[in-house]
Amino acid sequence: MTTQRILRLAIVLTIGLCAPWTCFAATVDFVTQIKPILARHCFACHGPGVSSGGLRFNSQQAAFAQLDSGVHAITPGDVGASELIKRVKSADPENRMPPEGKPLSSEEIALLERWIVEGAAWNNHWAFSPIKKPTPPEVQDREWVINPIDAFVLAKLEAANLKPAPAADRRTLARRAYYDLTGLPPSYAEVEAFVADTSPNSWSNLVDKLLASPHYGEHWARHWLDVVRYAETNSFERDGPKPNAWKYRDYVIRAFNTDKPYDEFVREQLAGDELDKVTQDSIIATGYYRLGIWDDEPADPVQARADERDDWVSTTSQAFLGLTLGCARCHDHKIDPLPQTDYYGLVAFFADLTSYGQRGDEITNSQWQFGDPELLAQRAKLDQLEQAIAAEKVSIEEVGIKRMSAEDQRRSETLERQALLEEKLLKFLNASEANQYQGIVKRLERVRRQREALPPMDAALAVAKCEPLPAETRLMVRGNPHVPGALVEPQFPQIFGDPPPRIAPAAEGARSAGRRRVLADWIASEQNWLTARVIVNRVWQHHFGRGIVRSANNFGELGDPPTHPELLDWLAVWLMEHEWRLKPLHELIMASRTYQMSGQTNAAALAVDPTNDLLWRFDLRRLSGEEVRDSTLVVAGSLTRDVYGPSIYPRLSQELLLTQSMPGNGWSESTPTQQNRRSIYIHVKRSLLEPLLTAFDLPDVDSSCEARFVTTQPQQALTLLNSEFVSEQARQLAERVQASASEPRQQVAESIRIALAREPSPTELSTGVELIADFQQQHSCSYDKALQQWCLVVLNLNEFLYVD
Amino acid sequence: MMNPAPKAEAFCHRTRREFLWETGCGFGGAALAAMLGADGLLPTADANAPIGNPLEPRPSQLPGKAKSVIFLFMYGGPSHLDTFDYKPQLVGRDGQTVEVKTHGRGGHRNEGRIVEPRWKFHQHGASGKWVSTLFPHLGKCVDDIAFLHSMTAESPIHGSAMLMMNSGRLQSGFPALGSWLNYGLGSLNENLPGFVVMLDQSGGPISGAKNWSSGYMPATYSGATFRPTGSPINDLNLPRDVSRQERRTLLDSLVKLNQHHAELRPDQADLQARIATYELAFRMQQHAPEAVDLKTETAATLAAYGVGRSPTHEFGTRCLLARRLVERGVRFVQLYSGGAHNDHNWDAHGDLEANHSLHAKETDQPIAALLQDLKQRGMLDETLVIWGGEFGRQPTAEYAVGTGRDHNAYGFTMWMAGGGIKGGLSIGSTDELGSAAVEEPLPVKRLHATVLHQMGLDPNRLSYFYRGLDQKLVGVEAVEPIRQII
Repeated sequence: MTTQRILRLAIVLTIGLCAPWTCFAATVDFVTQIKPILARHCFACHGPGVSSGGLRFNSQQAAFAQLDSGVHAITPGDVGASELIKRVKSADPENRMPPEGKPLSSEEIALLERWIVEGAAWNNHWAFSPIKKPTPPEVQDREWVINPIDAFVLAKLEAANLKPAPAADRRTLARRAYYDLTGLPPSYAEVEAFVADTSPNSWSNLVDKLLASPHYGEHWARHWLDVVRYAETNSFERDGPKPNAWKYRDYVIRAFNTDKPYDEFVREQLAGDELDKVTQDSIIATGYYRLGIWDDEPADPVQARADERDDWVSTTSQAFLGLTLGCARCHDHKIDPLPQTDYYGLVAFFADLTSYGQRGDEITNSQWQFGDPELLAQRAKLDQLEQAIAAEKVSIEEVGIKRMSAEDQRRSETLERQALLEEKLLKFLNASEANQYQGIVKRLERVRRQREALPPMDAALAVAKCEPLPAETRLMVRGNPHVPGALVEPQFPQIFGDPPPRIAPAAEGARSAGRRRVLADWIASEQNWLTARVIVNRVWQHHFGRGIVRSANNFGELGDPPTHPELLDWLAVWLMEHEWRLKPLHELIMASRTYQMSGQTNAAALAVDPTNDLLWRFDLRRLSGEEVRDSTLVVAGSLTRDVYGPSIYPRLSQELLLTQSMPGNGWSESTPTQQNRRSIYIHVKRSLLEPLLTAFDLPDVDSSCEARFVTTQPQQALTLLNSEFVSEQARQLAERVQASASEPRQQVAESIRIALAREPSPTELSTGVELIADFQQQHSCSYDKALQQWCLVVLNLNEFLYVD
Repeated sequence: MMNPAPKAEAFCHRTRREFLWETGCGFGGAALAAMLGADGLLPTADANAPIGNPLEPRPSQLPGKAKSVIFLFMYGGPSHLDTFDYKPQLVGRDGQTVEVKTHGRGGHRNEGRIVEPRWKFHQHGASGKWVSTLFPHLGKCVDDIAFLHSMTAESPIHGSAMLMMNSGRLQSGFPALGSWLNYGLGSLNENLPGFVVMLDQSGGPISGAKNWSSGYMPATYSGATFRPTGSPINDLNLPRDVSRQERRTLLDSLVKLNQHHAELRPDQADLQARIATYELAFRMQQHAPEAVDLKTETAATLAAYGVGRSPTHEFGTRCLLARRLVERGVRFVQLYSGGAHNDHNWDAHGDLEANHSLHAKETDQPIAALLQDLKQRGMLDETLVIWGGEFGRQPTAEYAVGTGRDHNAYGFTMWMAGGGIKGGLSIGSTDELGSAAVEEPLPVKRLHATVLHQMGLDPNRLSYFYRGLDQKLVGVEAVEPIRQII
């Protein structure tokens, strides 16, 4: 009786504390209700790695198995035959479990009992199970459903008694589509054309047109670059450049533009040097491994090497699998079923990857040289020769330097070395040393001339050198690389239940170990439980402003649960059925009624679901930093639309450069036309990020970013009102409207058409005209300046910075 | 009662936090929070959610003594042996070769030539603290200072050691101490950044902005570089040809149009937030220059800091600004003594005498003036002052000739004063040569734990959920503040 009452109370509370749409059934949920009890009270002796009395609760098989004593801890459906219940309820302290600590509460015991009565369903965490294609649910309002996406969304809305928002108007849709697919605003004419197009295919035609635009790849590549911690320098003291990193960036843009199947995209990045068909593209893709931070002068080289591997494990597991495996570096994951061996199993897959470089040589391991092998050999020979002679030269220089004063010795380690040597070296060498030295200098010059005479090289940031027979991988006790533990072979995370791969040692002469290929094939497989889910979620995220799983890098138990799990799985299967191509997926999503809803508010829905988890409307979205900058350039008429190529360097303020220990180091200045290219082409220097982008939430580039913050803070206002960049663009916009209209009123109208792609409202017209007049009359400004101030207003309008 | 969804309770605040985030903030955000809260648009953060509006002032976790921190970063690594760690055993042994394990820029060595400390030491104050003649003014403040003689760092290389001192990690990508404080406590002044960095006139330190980055936290928590002259904050000043009245005219039009746009989207808090940030920015344009305007300071104060005189003017000005910023509620102010490379900072590889004489002269009087000024104004109790570099220097010479010393992360001295720290104390010690900490070695995380603790934050509880883990400044394992000096 008492038990029952408590039970009922527990149910009431459960429902009371859940959002209405998440609690349909009153059956006990294993993941959220039972597993935490077992973890809290039992895992210490019957958990990962420990099985007192033969009992372990961390897998269904082990938990249901017959124990050493012959009984079963859990017998589904039969509380009486479940030793677990007997022991936790026992009044005898000798017999009761757990032997130490507080006994289970009566509520906990009641839950366990009910769970067993209900059949002891051992459902795993939603993401840790194979993907099955669910049938789209039945809905009441069938009219609303354009494609299955809508059925999944509407079913949940109907269950919560909510109505979806009405359809967005065509202008809103056009602007939304342009920004979502290209990150650039539509022109007035483009929107007008779409509004006037009454053909039934007008929407899909627009979507197709935008997907075919090279700007599509530029925009979507940026999303991927966030995930793979893309940057073009190494961080740390020197923050030196990673030559040719931009080719990886171009590879990603091109992959989107050509709609490279995602499984191929995965394989190329993880094992592009090991595929059946290795191409220049697939080599460039392996630049993926070389994008992270790298310390050229580590205090502890062993630790630094472990950190580099950690970057690969963390990034790869998050980017491709949505798993924060990095958490298991030091110990088994506390909640997710990720033991430490999973982490090192992945480390073992990467064992053939060499370090980014060594101080003084960042070429051998990370710059892949393309071209005629004979020429390459010739060049390599000259390189070797040059290095050898250079070493001879330095050794004689050091003889002289050792005889100099401490101040000069110090100088010899700075940029002044050459000047010092020219000034003083010969004075500190004896005649024969000096003679030898001059001979070396001549030889060196000769070799360098020969080398320069060779045709220029084409190289890429890539995995240029591997260890085909890598050293064994050992688990690091408490994550400490100085305390190696058990031997670990390449293995897939154990939750997947896949047998460890058998990888034969590389054949003689092989250039790599062949392990990454195995990993890449496993990740890019249709059988993988996570890969397709993770990528469709990312695509969804950038259409709707948030993923179906908001924690896009973490599908584990500490991540956010999916708002629409069946939809996620349905989309994942759909993607695989369509050759893993993303463009059809964009088309499908954008064709849905769900995507075409307006952002109109609804008090009832807002009260029940303020975060719009159920998708009762389309969320307003602020532009990213790149979109703000690029849109400003478009509107000012100054965007240079060149696609691909080496990175650009916009002018940075002197104040910003002064934050560097060597002001201006590693930053040049591109031509004005080049400076006006899209933001994705801006050189990403880790210690010197472009301030407008930073103000608008460019993420930290040192580790994978799943979703950007969207902050609203005054630095953004300062940048958009006072920066040289925006002032200049406002001036350009003013010139542009002056060229197309002569009257102030028409100029104001034109500025709104250009920036917002619609006709101005009467309020906008009068506000603009009055502002211009005020500036002229009250502030005695020239007309040009007054108009520029109005254009500055336009560039700061919320409507310009937000997409409905 | 059973908790039906422990996962949601314990771990889903990230979403909640981000949701709250999107409702916007100023450098302070308090006014905005009130505004949005009044409209019922800002959900109230529950006790478990550590953060509502990002920089809204928050009650501290513990009764903290200090409200602000001034970190005087002696970039390059000052020699403890020539400043505060008195080693009479070294006197008279100049040039002797000793067996001593060192690890510096030049790698590992097992022996070296002793460089006798180049300055004489005298006892000061009631505590009788030995201080070298490099710091005559600071000598007078020793009874307010707790010296930590057994500091250790994990790297003897500038770049990684600086990151360690600033963010607790050898790698970049993690939030700086100032970011953690603003995340944990919010800012007391919405018109100024909560985390201010003032660089040396010779340039930034190695790794530049990485030293005050907010890492995986939102950029609002990163340090803002603040300049004594020109535009204190990036893009703060109006363009040369725009007056404040003109800007007001522009803003009035902008607000009108943005309000009109927002009226059609009445439940979108970000739109209102964004309108408000323009007003905040406009106010900052008035307040930030006021904060750097020294006209209201008396001649005596300026003289005490050495403002207007060589070689103290530059650092003295920044010390005075630090006091003014702290007075105005800035949580964390970091001043760099030294910038750029080589002898522009304390990195005395060549001629230690010239290097340290220069940098000590630039900073000794201003720092002493800062401590005295804070004390006299009754602010020292609430202001935690930290002095030190990323590491110290070796007892032995780096080169065959000369006085230069290589880096030493095995043992060095830092000090703290104010903010509830006991003065006149010295904790820990290095060996007789000063080569390594022997008595109570203090890793950098102990220093960080002490700072958090004094600011009213529990170093082992202040966490930020990122990459599947509750990340902490002091790392996974529990770290004790340095109790002896509290």
